[in-house]
Amino acid sequence: MNRTRIAWGLLAPALAFVSLFFLAPVLALLAGAFKVEGAFGLAHFQAFFAEPLHAQVYWRTLRLAGLATLVAAVVCYPAAMALVKVPPPWRGLLTGLVILPLMVSPIARTYAWIVLLGRNGLANSLLVQGGVISEPMTLLFTEGAVFVGLLQLMMPLMLVSLVSALENLPPDVLNAARTLGANRWQAFFKVTLPLTQEGLIIGGTLVFTGCVTAYITPALLGGPKVLMLETLLYQKVNVAGDTTAASVIAVLLLATTVAVNQGLRRVGRGSKRVAT
Amino acid sequence: MNRPSRAALAMLVLALLFLVGPFFVVFIAGFSADETLAFPPRSVGLRWLAHVFTVESFQRSLGTSLVVGVGSTLGALGLGVPVAYALSRYAVPGREWVRTLLTLPLVVPGIIVGLALLNHMVLLYNLPVLASLLVGHTALLVPYAVRVVSASLANLRQDIDDAAITLGATRAQAFFKVVLPNIRGAIGAAAVLAFITSFNQVPVSLFLTGPGVSTLPIEMMAYMETSYDPSIAALSTLLVLMTLAVVAATEKLLGLSRYV
Repeated sequence: MNRTRIAWGLLAPALAFVSLFFLAPVLALLAGAFKVEGAFGLAHFQAFFAEPLHAQVYWRTLRLAGLATLVAAVVCYPAAMALVKVPPPWRGLLTGLVILPLMVSPIARTYAWIVLLGRNGLANSLLVQGGVISEPMTLLFTEGAVFVGLLQLMMPLMLVSLVSALENLPPDVLNAARTLGANRWQAFFKVTLPLTQEGLIIGGTLVFTGCVTAYITPALLGGPKVLMLETLLYQKVNVAGDTTAASVIAVLLLATTVAVNQGLRRVGRGSKRVAT
Repeated sequence: MNRPSRAALAMLVLALLFLVGPFFVVFIAGFSADETLAFPPRSVGLRWLAHVFTVESFQRSLGTSLVVGVGSTLGALGLGVPVAYALSRYAVPGREWVRTLLTLPLVVPGIIVGLALLNHMVLLYNLPVLASLLVGHTALLVPYAVRVVSASLANLRQDIDDAAITLGATRAQAFFKVVLPNIRGAIGAAAVLAFITSFNQVPVSLFLTGPGVSTLPIEMMAYMETSYDPSIAALSTLLVLMTLAVVAATEKLLGLSRYV
């Protein structure tokens, strides 16, 4: 009994702090989206999606996040397979190169694309000098720019997840598959891929939710022309002063990340059942 | 069989170039002496690296960022270390609920936390802006402190504090004289990780700025909207170098990579 009391004494400050300064305000904000003239209702959501721009922004957010997740998986899978086979001294260095960017300010990381894709940036100078185009073209503030920025920002998360999944793969199972007559591709699709899908799912969740909730990249590389959910939310509060629309976007952001988390986890469980 | 295939190795090299290449671009742009941003730069010099130290909004917001970073890191450790200890040493009823509640700040997008604090703390209860920044960042960092310190406590044999208590130490003495010295490295690593996270944080801070109170990343984004000179490249160069130095030092002293 005494021990339980000590334990709760240790937990209480953190629980009280997080409830008071995080949970309560967030719940109050989210509740605002469902409150219609003092009662529960979904009218704010209907009004929000009645605006074609809003539906378009939501769809763009899902599309860019999905595409970045897919490309990250396709690029990082072979890269991770190569990385786990690199001999030790090099391997530590290369792993450092993957992890270090995660510690650096996302603004510094995103700014490079402004340098490269701007009117006087590298891409335009090369294209003009090479005679491909006569005038610098607009590369910044396009969906392509946002996509490249998001991919670069989130790729380390996929790579790290896949590397740790591949490290836990017992080396014998592959040899066994090959001995039993599987060719390289069969061994990959029937053994390696199913046994490492956990890493793929964790990495995919991190990249997708990271893209959906990214603010800096769409703000700097997309601007007001290529809005995503987070930049739209910012605009609703600071330009339009529309708190209700902001609450609706907050609910959408949270619901989307939670749905993807749960959905991918279920996919993982479902296919595991098929495999066994 | 155990050598990486050529195609996979090529993909690895491409991926690393894509991840690291942009840093070199920012570095080169940071050493430009041009009037406006161009790449490759037409002239080279330290002009903009010196300039960023004279921009008043950068000076003031750096001060705020440091105060918020240190304050929220200390706050998160003060709240999180007892939690990690309690969860590892005591059978707490409802521990899964405790864990879930304390990981939520990682799940909820930062922009929502910032807006929620603005609407329901700053505007409703007149919480000062600086205080709202501090509590917002602290809530965000608590999960980091709990996770890193918990991992270290899981590797520490529980018998050692039991032994100390059997030998006559009080519970508090056992914690401060036996347990704490053994998890110092983890606490240090958690502190560095938390500080970096707070220092780079944008979405939580976005709505929590007011007259005279703004963080460095927010001011950098504001500066970019009005100026096209290479200042931000210069400042980014400095930030990358500082981050490298901090991470390298922590790795050497505490083995940061074990905790990330």
